Amino acid sequence: MDEALRAVADPTRRAILVLVRDEEVSAGDIARGFPGISRPAVSQHLRILVTAGLLDVRRAGNRRFYRMRRQGLAEAATFFESMWSAPLNRLKQVAEEEESAEGSP
Amino acid sequence: MSTIEQTLWIRARPETVWRHFVDPVRLARWWGEAEVDPRPGGELVVRMREGPRPIMRGSFLELVPYERIVFTFGWEPTPGAPVLPPGTSRVEITLTPENDGVKLTLRHSGLPFTLEGETGEGWAHALARLAQTSESVA
Repeated sequence: MDEALRAVADPTRRAILVLVRDEEVSAGDIARGFPGISRPAVSQHLRILVTAGLLDVRRAGNRRFYRMRRQGLAEAATFFESMWSAPLNRLKQVAEEEESAEGSP
Repeated sequence: MSTIEQTLWIRARPETVWRHFVDPVRLARWWGEAEVDPRPGGELVVRMREGPRPIMRGSFLELVPYERIVFTFGWEPTPGAPVLPPGTSRVEITLTPENDGVKLTLRHSGLPFTLEGETGEGWAHALARLAQTSESVA
């Protein structure tokens, strides 16, 4: 989970995800989409995205094709949900305790 | 960028719930040890207890007593927490009286877990800027 969020926070990796969001794209075509970035650096970004569960990879011969794994980001959303649900439940508890303490004679 | 929304009902008056956002002693009871300066532009710093226990750093944008609080939300760099620099996301708390209590709605927007609305063109722009930045560093 944290891994997916760290992976997606990087602007280059987000740009790669946008590129492969709707269709499978070969490693070579992805690299060509980022002329300002070295090929090994692009490969490194792809590895991080695959490890984080955000990309599916398919090998055909010696070529590799990447496609975004949409569930990966949905899972990441639950991290932020969890950062709020526990504290908000505590808020409900302590606010209700204070209210009933004030309300009692 | 995306938004999460959570709603809960609290058996208390809006004033009571409000105090739990602007008073550091009460903030510490539910969210974390806090420094709070509850006025527009004032800082809110919370040592969160959840997950990787990041320090939240934000500033208040709006305070409508007993009704609405808006603040920016970011984390100091924390191992195990996603990169969310201060100022990048935003939290809106709305308090609405309902059934002898208050309905609290939390909307946290600007979170980096979807690509909705992001286009290749937008990114070409961002990457051009990024390339310039790297060059100027190099």
